[in-house]
Order: sequence, then C-alpha cells, then structure tokens
Amino acid sequence: MKESIYQTVCPGCGIGCGLYIREDNQGAVSIDFFKSNPVNLGKLCRFGMKLPHYFSSGAFCKADEPSSMEGAIRDAAARLKGAEKVAMLSVGNTTCEEHMAFERIAKTLGSAVHTGIQAYSKLPPECHSYLEGMPFQDIEKANKIVLFIDPYVQYPLLVRRLLAAKRNNSHIISVGTKELHLADENLSITPNEYSQLGLDSNSVIITDLHPHTDANDIIQLLNLSLETGAKILTMKPFVSSEGVNRISKVKTTSKGLSQMMDEVKKGNIRTLVLLDSDPIELMPDTDETVKSLKKLDNLIVISSRKSPVNEIADVVISTEPLYRKAGTFMNTEGRIQENSGTGVTGINAMSSLNKELGSEEFEYGQLHEQVMAALTNEGQKSGYSKIKNLATAKQCTGGYVLKYLYNPFMWFNQLDDNDFVLINLNMVRSLKLKKGGQISLTSENGNIKMRYRVEGMPDGLILTARKLPIAIAGTTSVKVEGC
Amino acid sequence: MAEKEWEPKIVAFCCNWCSYGGADTAGMGRFQQPSSLRIIRVMCSGRIDPMHVFNAFLEGADAVLVTGCHLGDCHYVNGNYKAEVRYQFLEEMVKQLGLEPERLQLNWISASEGEKFANFVRDVTAKIKELGPSPLKPEGVN
Amino acid sequence: MVEVGDRLLGYATDPNVRSKGASGGLVTAVLAAALEKGLVEGVVILKRIDEYEAVPVITDDVQEVLSSGGSMHAVPVNLAKYVVGKKVAMPGKPCDVRGVIEQAKRNSVDLSNTYIVGLNCGGSMHPVLTKEMLIKMYEIDPEDVVGEEIEKGKLIFKTKSGEEKSISIDKLEEEGYGRRESCRYCDVKIPVSADLACGNWGVIGELAGNATFCEVMNEKGKLLLDTAIEAGYVEVRPADEKSISIREKVNSAMLKLGDEWKEKVFDEIPDKDRLKYYIDQFADCIDCGACKEVCPVCSCGPDSKCTMFHSLADNYKMSMYHMVRLLHLSDSCIGCGQCADVCPVDIPVTTIFRRFANPAQKNRNYMPGMDLKRPPFLEVMLK
Repeated sequence: MKESIYQTVCPGCGIGCGLYIREDNQGAVSIDFFKSNPVNLGKLCRFGMKLPHYFSSGAFCKADEPSSMEGAIRDAAARLKGAEKVAMLSVGNTTCEEHMAFERIAKTLGSAVHTGIQAYSKLPPECHSYLEGMPFQDIEKANKIVLFIDPYVQYPLLVRRLLAAKRNNSHIISVGTKELHLADENLSITPNEYSQLGLDSNSVIITDLHPHTDANDIIQLLNLSLETGAKILTMKPFVSSEGVNRISKVKTTSKGLSQMMDEVKKGNIRTLVLLDSDPIELMPDTDETVKSLKKLDNLIVISSRKSPVNEIADVVISTEPLYRKAGTFMNTEGRIQENSGTGVTGINAMSSLNKELGSEEFEYGQLHEQVMAALTNEGQKSGYSKIKNLATAKQCTGGYVLKYLYNPFMWFNQLDDNDFVLINLNMVRSLKLKKGGQISLTSENGNIKMRYRVEGMPDGLILTARKLPIAIAGTTSVKVEGC
Repeated sequence: MAEKEWEPKIVAFCCNWCSYGGADTAGMGRFQQPSSLRIIRVMCSGRIDPMHVFNAFLEGADAVLVTGCHLGDCHYVNGNYKAEVRYQFLEEMVKQLGLEPERLQLNWISASEGEKFANFVRDVTAKIKELGPSPLKPEGVN
Repeated sequence: MVEVGDRLLGYATDPNVRSKGASGGLVTAVLAAALEKGLVEGVVILKRIDEYEAVPVITDDVQEVLSSGGSMHAVPVNLAKYVVGKKVAMPGKPCDVRGVIEQAKRNSVDLSNTYIVGLNCGGSMHPVLTKEMLIKMYEIDPEDVVGEEIEKGKLIFKTKSGEEKSISIDKLEEEGYGRRESCRYCDVKIPVSADLACGNWGVIGELAGNATFCEVMNEKGKLLLDTAIEAGYVEVRPADEKSISIREKVNSAMLKLGDEWKEKVFDEIPDKDRLKYYIDQFADCIDCGACKEVCPVCSCGPDSKCTMFHSLADNYKMSMYHMVRLLHLSDSCIGCGQCADVCPVDIPVTTIFRRFANPAQKNRNYMPGMDLKRPPFLEVMLK
C-alpha cells in the first residue's frame, strides 16, 4: 500500500493551477487538491478534474523500453544528420527546461524552435512585451474589464478572479461571444466601435493568444490599449506558453502553426521535429493535417503522452508523464512554479541526441539555471506607436460563421460531453428547429448534424467547444439547415 | 390577433393500476377536464424518481402531480409508501427552493374515482392559472 | 485491559512521539500499534509538506506513521474517501468519521475492517486565508510559524524565535478570518461515532499539553487501545471527574457558539426571492464536478443520477446536477465544507446544501454519520 504524491501544475492551460497527482502501486492516477497554492487555492476546472484520464491515456508506443529508447535516439540522430528543410515546434506543453534542451538541439542543427504563434511575427517587436501576462490579482482591482474570451469555457479558473472583481464593483463587459452570466453588459461591436467601451488606465482588456489567433485582433486591442491606457491580459493555452515565449528568441521570425503546416504541405519543410506538440490535435482540420504530415521525409516526435501524431511518426522518443518530470513552468501571470517530480528522461534523451548529432551533452541543472535566468530577466518595456492593420481576406458577411471556442479539451483532443453547438433563439425560430432536434451544418469539408443549445448570442454566429470535422480553420463559414 | 388565455402545462404521473384508471374513468364519465394535463403512465407510483419531477419542472411544467393507489392498496405491496417517503423529501425541497408549494401535489386516487381525478386536475389548473408560469420554465418555452 | 465506555488519559511511551504529537502522541502511537500488530494493512496519514499543506496518503510503514504527528488546523481535508475499499486505520475529525459512517451505510466501506481514531475538533482553517491572516492580524511572517494551537477561544501561533501570539477567534472571525464557515456552525465537536474519541479537552494540571483524553466508544476502540497498551506503545490512566466535566464544558460551550453562528449564517431568505437566489448562485457553475468528487458522503462513483441525467446541452434554469444533489444530500449532508473549498467559482455550496439539509434533518430528528442504526432515508421506507 504505497502511494506516490507529485506536486505539479495542470497542463490544461496557461493559468497554471497547482494540484497533486497521486499514483498508487498499480500505477492508477488520481488527483488531489493543493489548497495552499496561491494561483488556484487547489480549485480545478472540469479539465483538471479529468486529468487522470488525460494522463492514463499516456501509454507510450514504440519506445517505452530503455533499449528501444537508445534505438529511437540513434534513429532520430541518423535522420537528422544532413536532413534538409528542418523545422522544430514546441508550443510550450512541457517544462521550460525541456524546451531549453530542445533549443539546444535546434542550435546544433542550425535550425530554430517555433512556438507556433504567428501573431508575434506580424507585430512590431516592441509590442511583444505588452503581450506578456500580468498578475491575476490586478484583475480583481480593475474598475472595468472587457472580455474578448468566454472564461467559463476557455479559461474557467479566471471566472473566480472576475467574480472577485465584480464584488469590488468592477464593471464587466463581454464582447462578441455568448452572453456571460457574470458580465454586466454583453456587446456585439466591431473594432471601429471600441471607443464606446469607455476604457481608461484602470481598465483591463482580457483576450487570448494562441496558434490560431488573428494578428489583426491583437493589433486592434494593442491600439485600443495605446489610446486609452487600459492594460492587456493575454491568456495563453499551454502550461509553459508564457515561459517558452519569453525564452524564445526568434519571435520576430516565428512561424505560426498553420503557416508551418502549409509549408509541410507544399514541401518546404521536409523534416519536422516536435516536442510535446501535436499538430493533429492543435490544427482545426484534423484530416487535412494528417494528410500533410504524411508527406514529410522525417517526422520525429518527443512526447510524454499518447497523442495521434505518435501513430504516424517515424521516430517517437517517449518521456515520462508531465507530473513526474523535474522542471519549471511559468504561468500567464508570470509566476514561476516548480514540479516536485525528479524525472529527467526527456532531458537526458535530448542530451544524448545532441551528442549523437556531434554537439555537447547537457544536464538538468544547467538547463534549469539557464531557464531561471531567462525567466527572471525583466526586460525593459519600450513604448510602441499605433500599429497599422494588416490586410486581411474579406470577411464573409450575411452567412453563418462557425467559430471554435478553443478550450483545453480541444487542444488535447480529450473527449468531453459537449457534443452540441451554441446558437441563438433567432436562429432556432428562423430555421424552425424543434426541441431535441438537430441542426445541419455544411462547409466545403462536408456536412454534419449536431445537437444545439440555445444561448444569448450575436446573430449569425455558431459556437462550438468541440472540434468538428467540417471546420477548415478557427472560423469557418457554413450553411445551416434545420433537420 | 387576440391573446389567447394562457394555458398551464401540468404533468401528472399516474400509476398503471389505480390513478391511470381514475383518469380513464374520468374520461369515460365525461367529466369536464382542462386541456392542460399531460399524463405519464408508470407501473407504480414507487417508480417515480424525484429526478422525473425535477426534469418535468426544468423542461417547463407549471405543476407536477404525483398520484397512485390509496395507501395499503398498492399492486406491488408497498410501492406507494416508498413514493410517499420520497414525496416528503421532495415537498420540503420544493418549499426550500422557493417554488410555490401548490406546484407539486400528491394524491391517492383509485381506478373508480374518476370524478375525484377530474376535480383534482381542475382545482390544480385553476390554482396554477392564478400563480402564472413556473419560474423554472426555460426561456423560449411557453 | 480497558472497557467500552472507559474515559482515560493517555500518552505515547516513546518520548519522541510524545513530544512531537499535539498532546502526548496517543493517537499516533495507537495508529502505529494497529499497523505493527497487523490489525490493519495501512494507516491514513497526512503527509506534511509545510505548515499549511499536507496530503493524505496511505502508508504501511510504521516509522512514517510515528513521524506524522502534530495537529494541522490549516489543512482542511476530509479523509473519508481515502478509506473506501481498504483495510486501514485512520485518524479523523468528527466530519471525517461521519463521512466514513455514511460510506459504510452505503456499503462502500466495511466498518469491521476500518478503525477510526476520532479527534475533537473546534474547526479548521483555509491555508491561504490563514497566511493572509498571519500577515494582517498577527503581523507574523507565515514562513516563521512553527506551531499553532487553539486554547480557551484563542488561536495561538508560535514562531521560530519562540514567541507566541494569540488573538481571540471571535475577533478573527469578525474580520473574515479564523475557521472556515462550515466549521463555525458545525454541530459535532467530539467524534462520538468513532471507535476512540480523543482530544486535549479535559487534560489539566501537569499532564496539560502532553496527554490525550480518550473515550472508548465501542469494541473496536477497546481492541485498538488494548493492542497499543499490550505493544507497550501507550500508557493510560482513568480520567478523574474534573477532567470529564471540563471536557463536557468545553464541548457545550463550542456547541452553543455553533448555534449562534447557525442563526447568523442561515438568515431566512424571503419566499419570493429564494428561487432567484439559488438560480443566481448556481449560474456561474462550470460543471467541473469537484463538489461531488470531494463529497465524503457521496458513494455513487462517476456514473450516478446527478451526472448521467445532466447534460451540458441542456439550457435549464438550474441544472439537473444541482437539483439531484440538493435532494440527495438533504438527508445525508454532514456539512464538512469540502465542496465549498474546491468550488472553482466560489459558490457557497456547503451553505446552500445546508439550507436544504437543516430542515430535512431536523424534521426527522436525524443526524447523518452518527451510527449505522438509521439508514439513509431516500432508500428505505419510514417506520
């Protein structure tokens, strides 16, 4: 009757909720509440509560024995030597130390690690520091908060901060998503009308920055912040997103995830190395992504859990699950948290790989120091001036738009019982939908019938918190019919 | 177009052996009955889970009637006693919830008591018309 | 040999255990003896991380049990769910014990295999609020604290430098600190449903601070204590009249205070506003299910009425999940406060559940978790 307890951080999103993972001698995993953690007081959202499932589906393929681990490393090294058109991706779904190790390999290969967020490269570099997070306690003190996200679905642990703000008489406005219970006002306005929000330097704008964020949206908000003095809090989707984006030195040339997949499709990337980042899970269109990835010469995956890309990878270097790793995370508020685990399989594997590639070995201690130095280095914030909008593809008007409500279940392809889309009452009436009936959605990728839930929402918008095979991007224009 | 008078939606759970028979007798006896009633036949009032009652309210019922055989007459010996125990909890809960107590009612009606059934439904309907729509009714449901 | 009903004063024979334990290390020694002598396969202990944090783990290592002593008022966990399906001994506050009894009523714990050493409890505190309180009210750095104690209505903190600072609990609670809300109105302070009921109330004179008052509640309690005495782990002596009456006095003073809090917390909401109040409170729910997961009396497992008949696709005014749980807990809620602690959107879940449970339990003159004689009401016939 021996149990192991690991103090760790939830990998669901960038908030960085602390929790315990309990492992019994049969390897069964359960969670426990870390009530003295200042980030979340031990509270967890539905994804956090389902972590045992997330981790227990983490059986490894191809390389879970030490001998095959060596084999996998040799194989990976052989494929990487002399490989051309190499790209490396780490979105920040692992410890900062592993990301650092990955950067070392990139250096050896003369390549660069991309974090998958394209918006950075489209913005003037002086803006980047304004996209760093801020302490959640500052939300509670703001007098006005504008939400461009749905905190209930996307970042649930933010809700309690917003409710605290509300108790402090903060005015909360939600823009362009479904009506939120905690919001005092729910608006559906275009960027030209942002001036009517009436923001000032005591206001906070909350949005998020993920691989599919439209750079233009961020530009609008940066300009709004510049005009009004309001602070921006950009939520981020992965456990180390904040950390790796602060560490990453190639932000100005950073490639977005969809851009990379495009290059893979066109053959401009022939070798792809992934660190706990699975494009099949991360891209909106699963089938299309699988098709593109199969065109690669080499697909090398370093992964701590079983995810779909492992199945089609040429080499899988599998490491211990996240909670057993030694390592550091930085959450969206810039708080550094450390795992209690001591596993260094991933780092040692990358060290051996680096050696095989003809460069030096490294160990956890060195990387940790390097990470801490990078994360605690407070860069000077320099001002920026008004940013011009980017030219965008024409917005489709008049039709219906299916929009992804990105949340942890979507990023990690975890099953949730949200098999429905959100629509408003006007749509129910105009399509003459019946209670318990379905709505038929058609895009160029095909047709799907879904159950629906009625919410107060802007007309013409359909939201989904689950990946749908008909989507081609974060927003897809669709035709709808009642059925 | 003239506004039609609001007609409440009343869900009645009736046991197969007694109160459903009572409803049947009421029909055969041509007692005037309001159109507000929706009968759900169950084999025994002991089958009625509090969950069924909640579901009726949440789906938009303005009142829920739990009916069964008279105590001691249960076809399955003691099903209606079980129903009674649950009903007492339900009653307290509905009260604490702040829903008007008239919206949930229990009555024992035998198969021959058609008139009693009809009167019961008529009285409840009149009362609910006074109270108006249930506050638990979802939006968009009338 | 001790007898059922005996009231004793006891302490661990090992001086290390005796000084490490909160009051004489009796509980630690009894648990260790039960494990050593094969009464159980494991013991639930709080694995200490720091002054404000501990995780319950089950261990079969006697040394680990012996080194686990010490009271932890700032660690509000409920241990009931950890013993499900195991042959273990556990220490427990009254709410832990009541949770185990309720689990046993629902056949998910075999009480003949589970030994419970109950601990008197005046209340526990939330760790983060405690840290905040130390800074604001005590002006002590939370990291400097080495021990804490509740005595005569005062909360005392000891620091590394040997200083002690005490503030009355009433004053702390006026400021919003002190005990968790559910502890303030809790109505069981002495765990009479455990096998042994232990605590420092009634320990006076030279023994104060290094002995434990222990009441043998049943045959299992007798076995536990006899095993520990035979193994030479503990020494006991009968408690005198004075000790017994002081323990009773502390208990009744605490209960009276609890009743006052009950009046304050459960102010009547007018009939016409109640439904709106409940709907509004639950509207922020994000369906995490944590309140069910931690609930020490819930034994349904992942597939239960409250979850299986609840769907995210429903757009009801109140969710089926909450409706079903409000009803199911109205007879069995023990008011431990776990659900409110873990609620990610700060819904005062415990208080809401108690608003339904208080009248239901009072009307039936019933307290859940006190004995096995009265089964859960929804599942059986009355009389």
